[in-house]
Formats: sequence, structure tokens, C-alpha cells
Amino acid sequence: MYEQIASNRAKTVFIIIGFVVFITLVGFAIGYYLDWRYGISNNYSVILMIFALILAVIMSFSSYYYSDRIVLSLSGARPISREENQRVYYMAEGLSIAAGLTIPKIYVMGDEGMNAFATGRNPQKGVIAFTQGLLDNLSDEELKGVISHELSHIKNYDILLGTIVVVMVGMITIISNIIFRSLIFGGGSRRRSSKGSGGGILSLILIIVGVLLILLAPIIATLIRLAISRNREFLADSTGALISRYPAGLANALKKISMHSEVKTASSATAHLFIANPIGDKSKVMFKSLFNTHPPAEERIRRLENMSLGVGIK
Amino acid sequence: MLPGVISLIAIIAGIIILLFFIGIGIYNSIVSLRNKVDNSWHQIDVQLRKRYDLIPNLMETVKGYAKHERETLQNVINARKIGIDAKTVKEQAKAENMITGTLKSLFALSENYPNLKADQHFLKLMEQLNGIESNIAYARQFYNDMVMKFNTRIQTFPGNIFARMFNFLSRDYFEIEEISAREPVKVKF
Repeated sequence: MYEQIASNRAKTVFIIIGFVVFITLVGFAIGYYLDWRYGISNNYSVILMIFALILAVIMSFSSYYYSDRIVLSLSGARPISREENQRVYYMAEGLSIAAGLTIPKIYVMGDEGMNAFATGRNPQKGVIAFTQGLLDNLSDEELKGVISHELSHIKNYDILLGTIVVVMVGMITIISNIIFRSLIFGGGSRRRSSKGSGGGILSLILIIVGVLLILLAPIIATLIRLAISRNREFLADSTGALISRYPAGLANALKKISMHSEVKTASSATAHLFIANPIGDKSKVMFKSLFNTHPPAEERIRRLENMSLGVGIK
Repeated sequence: MLPGVISLIAIIAGIIILLFFIGIGIYNSIVSLRNKVDNSWHQIDVQLRKRYDLIPNLMETVKGYAKHERETLQNVINARKIGIDAKTVKEQAKAENMITGTLKSLFALSENYPNLKADQHFLKLMEQLNGIESNIAYARQFYNDMVMKFNTRIQTFPGNIFARMFNFLSRDYFEIEEISAREPVKVKF
């Protein structure tokens, strides 16, 4: 448990640093390209690198403080009051006491699909968002299972890491798209007319590296998302079962959820936050299992059903 | 000869300092666990107080319909008083079991009074009590988890050495007596 929190914090720091380095490098690569085209005397590489560094630091800070709000509004979730849905609040309150957490805020997405996710930068600012379909279709015990699962994401600081990843990966994807397009359509016609044709081979290598970096960015981003997502679903399942003391509740909930977990407002950027894959099976991708953000529901249900309670609390 | 002795002393001093810092770490982790136990006890306490505050209200409502059931009402009031006066975890647990039991017989009794069962105020109080009962159960679960962690820490090596040195005592679990008490009081409408 505590190792998990420490590792999540370390990963968050690592991802932020990686993000800053990546953006700075991209800035440098663009600057180098411009230097090569328009002459070294303009110092584009240095200027753009510093600019990118400052931009990346500002983006990191803002994603730390605002990513939860960004994710909630991306998903079209709205807060509900205790009066609007007593049932969820009662359960969330009780289970938070059992987990030793402050009671999270409850948000609802007006979607028929059954799904839920948690966000927030720390356990004191935790938020759990449910789809309306989930609240309507699950029994009390099943809903308690889902809430416990989300509470354990909150307790483990999975929410901070997962939420920051959404924003950072999103930004990297946007930036690499812009650069890629401008490289392709930006016109190579004047390339030969540049003055500084001296360091030709070196600059060519750098450009190739830059393009590779830009091409690889979405793939790297996907891999990061996968690395942080799959195992922690198992972990949150088992920790959640310890909170609710009733693994069958979550197991039954997952059975229902896996039948109809699509959420319209979810995208590949936010998919890993959800308790079950919110994106429908529209695309028949070749390496589908490799790029799954969630472990198969059957496997999760099997593990939950095998959990016996008396094993003890770690 | 002399440099050898000095380096030996330095090594021993280094080990002692290292052990000292490890000791500080262990001591601090025990204290922090003890604080977690205290804090989780406070969570139970909050819920218990809520229940104490509701009981007089409930008594007034029931009296209006069933004033002849003096004995049952008095039992609840007595149990509540014992609960408020309880000093130790064991006493508290015993008193709370009593309260839960007496409330249960009170609700059973309400079956004989259709007017009472239909009273909106009574229904609302029952609902609140149910909510509190389940919160008590959750708080107890968290408290017992923390007690187990703390007790394990001070009973196993090297925590046990520190426990003896600084007089850390094992904490009591908040236990419920009978299986039936595990279920929150069920209300049938």
C-alpha cells in the first residue's frame, strides 16, 4: 500500500520531468531546423529551447492543479448534491470512513453506459464520477463494490498519476500533430537556399531524430498509459474488496458493467481512468490485446471470486 | 598502529550513529501508527455521539404512541447513559452492543403500534439511525484495521524492543458480541 503510494508519486515526478525534457527537446529540434533553414545567426535553437522549457514548466504546474477539472469537464461530468442522490452519498460516506479517507465529491455523467472513474490531485480533493447508467442499474452491494474500487484509486494516489497523464499525453499528442503537419506541409522548397549548408549531415541527422521523436510521441504516450493502467486495476480491485469486505459485490458489478461499459464522452486520452474500458469495440486493431488499457473483465472477476476474506489486511 | 585504532573507533561510531537513526525511524513509525489508531477511534466516537443525540428524540416520539412500554424505553436510556460514561474501548464496545440490542427490541415493539410505524418523524429517525449504525460498522472496521497494524508493529521485532523501552501498550479491538449485531438494525416498512 505505502510502496504503491511512493511509487505513484515517483512516477508522477518522473512523468513530469520526462514531459519537460521532451517539450524542451522538441523546441530545440524545431529551433535547430529553423537555424538550418534560415542561418545559425538567429539562434532559433536556443530561443525556442528556452521558450519550450518555460512553456513546459508552466504546463506541468497547471496540469498538477487543474487536470482534475479538465478531465471532469472533458467527460461531461457535473457535481450532484447530497439531496439529489442520498443513496450514493450514504454509501460513499460509509466506505470513506472504512477506508479512512475524507468523503469524495460525487459527479455524474449523463450516459447510459455503466462506468465510473476517480480523479483529484490528492485524497483530500478526491472526486468520483459515475455514469447515470451505473447508478440506475447496479444494486447497493454492487455499487458499494465500485465505490470501494474508486476509493482505493484515491487512496493509492492513482488518481494524481492517471489524471496528470491525461493532460500531458494530450498535450504531447497535440504538439506533435502540429509539428508533424507543419514539417510536411511547411514547404521544403526553400531548403536548398539556406546559407548554413555547412553542417549538413549533422543537421540532417538531427532533423531525422526530431521527426522520429515526433512520430514516436503518440506511441510513447500510449505505452506510458498502458504501463500505469493495467496492474493497478487488479490492485484497486483487491484493495477495494478489503474496504467493502465483500468481493462478490464488485465481481457482480463488473459482470454487469462489462456488458455495457461504453461512455460517449470518453476518449482514448481518458480511457485508462475508467473502471472498465469505456471505448466500444468499433476498431478491430491487430494488436488489440497489447493496446488494451484494461485487463479482461473475466480475469478480474475470477480473481475477485477467488479472494477469500480472512486472508488479512496488508 | 594508531591509524588502525582510529579507523576502528570511527567505524564503531559510524555504526552507532546509523543504528541511532534507524531507531528514530522505527520509533517515529510506531508513534505515527498510534496516532492513526487514536484518529480512527475519534471517527467511531463521532458516529457514537450522533447516535446519542438521536436517542432522546426517538424516545419522545415513541412515548407519544407507546407510553406503556416503560421498561423497553428505560433500557435504551440506561444503555445510552452507560455508553456516554464509558472510559475504555472495552466498556464502550459493551455499551454500544447494549444500545444496539435495546434499540432492536424497541423497533420490534413498534410492530405492535401501527400509528407509530406510520409516523413520519419516527420513520425519519429510523432512517437516520440506520445510516449511523452502518457508519459505526465502517468506522469500527477502520479502527480495528489500524489497531491490528499497531499491535503487530509493537509485538514483532524490532518494534517490541521499543514498545518495552517506551511503554507502548497494545490497543483493544472494538468488538461486537453476537453475530446478529453485525447486521445494522433492519427496518421493515
